[in-house]
Amino acid sequence: MSLRPLTDAWRSATSRLILIYGALFAIWCVILLGVVQWESSRYLTNVVDGMLAARLHYLERTDSRRLTDTVDAASAIDATGFMAAGLFDAQGRRLAGNVGKIPKGLEEDGVVRAVTAEVEDHPGESGRRARGLASTLPGGQRLVVVKESATIDGLGAIIRRGALWGLSLTLIPGLLGGILIARRPARRVRQIQLAMEPIREGDLSVRLPVSGAGDEVDLLAGTVNTTLGEIERLLGEVKGVTDNIAHDLRTPLTRMRTRLYRVQQQIEGTPEAEQLEAAVEEIDTVLARFRALLRVSELEDRQRSACFENMDLGTVLKNVHDFYAPLAEDRHQLFELDVGKLPPLRGDPQLMFEAFANLVGNAIKFTPNGGAIRMVALTDPTGDARIDIADTGPGIPVGERDAVFRRFYRGDETRAKPGCGLGLAIVSAIVRLHGYSLAVGGNDEGAVFSVTCPAA
Amino acid sequence: MPRALVIEDDEVTARDIVAELGAHGLQADWVANGRDGLARALADGYDIITLDRMLPGMDGIDVVSELRKRSVETPVLMISALSDVDERVRGLRAGGDDYLTKPFAPDELAARAEVLLRRHRRPEAGETRIRVEDLELDLVKHNALRNGQPLTLLPTEFRLLEFLMRNAGQVVTRQMIFEHVWGFHFDPGTNVIDVHIGRLRRKIDGAGQVPLIRTVRGSGYVLAPAD
Repeated sequence: MSLRPLTDAWRSATSRLILIYGALFAIWCVILLGVVQWESSRYLTNVVDGMLAARLHYLERTDSRRLTDTVDAASAIDATGFMAAGLFDAQGRRLAGNVGKIPKGLEEDGVVRAVTAEVEDHPGESGRRARGLASTLPGGQRLVVVKESATIDGLGAIIRRGALWGLSLTLIPGLLGGILIARRPARRVRQIQLAMEPIREGDLSVRLPVSGAGDEVDLLAGTVNTTLGEIERLLGEVKGVTDNIAHDLRTPLTRMRTRLYRVQQQIEGTPEAEQLEAAVEEIDTVLARFRALLRVSELEDRQRSACFENMDLGTVLKNVHDFYAPLAEDRHQLFELDVGKLPPLRGDPQLMFEAFANLVGNAIKFTPNGGAIRMVALTDPTGDARIDIADTGPGIPVGERDAVFRRFYRGDETRAKPGCGLGLAIVSAIVRLHGYSLAVGGNDEGAVFSVTCPAA
Repeated sequence: MPRALVIEDDEVTARDIVAELGAHGLQADWVANGRDGLARALADGYDIITLDRMLPGMDGIDVVSELRKRSVETPVLMISALSDVDERVRGLRAGGDDYLTKPFAPDELAARAEVLLRRHRRPEAGETRIRVEDLELDLVKHNALRNGQPLTLLPTEFRLLEFLMRNAGQVVTRQMIFEHVWGFHFDPGTNVIDVHIGRLRRKIDGAGQVPLIRTVRGSGYVLAPAD
């Protein structure tokens, strides 16, 4: 898993929440304004319809002889096209008024309908949406009153414009503000991510930063911190128990070894003495394992840079080579050392010797007689020192490559060899103590262990 | 008879140490705490002191630094349950001459005590030649002769031979060899030391020569003329 930077504000949970809220708010506004518009236009339509009904009612009651004049008079007053009226004969020919013709779809049944009306004197406005009401007079004439619905439509437009302004005035600053607000939690999460880094690498003593605001992030960090404390305590206990067992068993085992050794010395030369010698060797193996186990704990508990100095890694590697060359030679193995120019490094030469001695010892152990071991130290393109130890042994299967650094881990291939599976755990602890990194590679024609040391 | 002072608060360990030193011809006295130990070490002329690192009353480090402050140069073998290298460095810096981690094999303790005794009696400074039987080491010219014939030794082999010859007749363990010749204190584990001894042995104990390097089973090596 790698850290993903939270620079992309849209990806944060807060930003997503703000977007969702924004969308919900917009939808709600649209619904609300829609309802308002619908309600108000319905109300206005009712008012208009009432007026139309009243006007028609009035005209119907007018004396039929004066009707033409009345309609013309009403039309004449209606200079603004507020409400137009028209009187038509049974064939639909206009007799009076300013309505050009009977609007299509208008029935003489006393029901107000939405029509397209043509009103004279207002040519620009003819053919516009309107409300209309018609009735048939006893003489077969038809009476039509029409009122444009521009007022109602205008109201809808005002409400729609208002909605547009309102939404943009609230949503844009809201979103901007939201992004600003979202940046703070994103920054805190980033801080927590950074704080988690050493924890992922195994340093359980680190705690997440708590801002003190007592917010959700603090609550979460607090919970994680408590959990970390508990894990640290439990791990410490497990390690403590293992260490204590190793520690406590060493004393009686050493005494046992001493007794057996003394008896063996006394009866030197007999077949029983050989048996005893084998027993002493077995105990020595167990004691060596306990020593190695305690050594791993000791290294893991050690504080970094306790006795670090500017070290000459080339000399350390040369010493390791000198120390192991005779062993490789005895096994007819080619053991080569190639030290190039190295950057300045800080570290503990004693510990580095121990680490590389373990790696080289392993390489010699797992390489068949007549094989080759090669230790190469160079400065890699990034300026760090890299030391590769390659052998021609069976290699380490890809699936086991992480596991080999664990305590007591022994691969299938290695079970037959002497050893305790602690050497690489020691190497790993030393490398980690230095802030260096250790990787294993290679193929089935040999393993390659690489130690990368950042330049000081 | 050389006299040893054992400053150790654990009675069982103390008894083991006294018995082991006794078996190697030392007369050992036991003191259970630091303050009394310091008084005894100052008052009586001991040849060697084994000093526990953790003591009630007065710490082992304090005892040894106090001794050195008062110019008492008796060799001190520090014994401690603390195995970390830092602890070892601290112990040696305070004035200890060697450092042994608990639990230890008694013969390891005896071997270290004898090496310290010998070094104290015959200081290394000023010595230019070491001779054991017909094996000669010239520390100035850095060459070695066996029966008058020059030997070709690598630098490491020379240091190894010097260590064995300085402690001729004395068993030295693999751990001691690794510490003195290579200067490291961890457990080299494998049989690397044996391989180095084997090569040295092939060079100095050639055909027709009396073998000088002997293996002591379960313990280490000794360079000594055959009995």
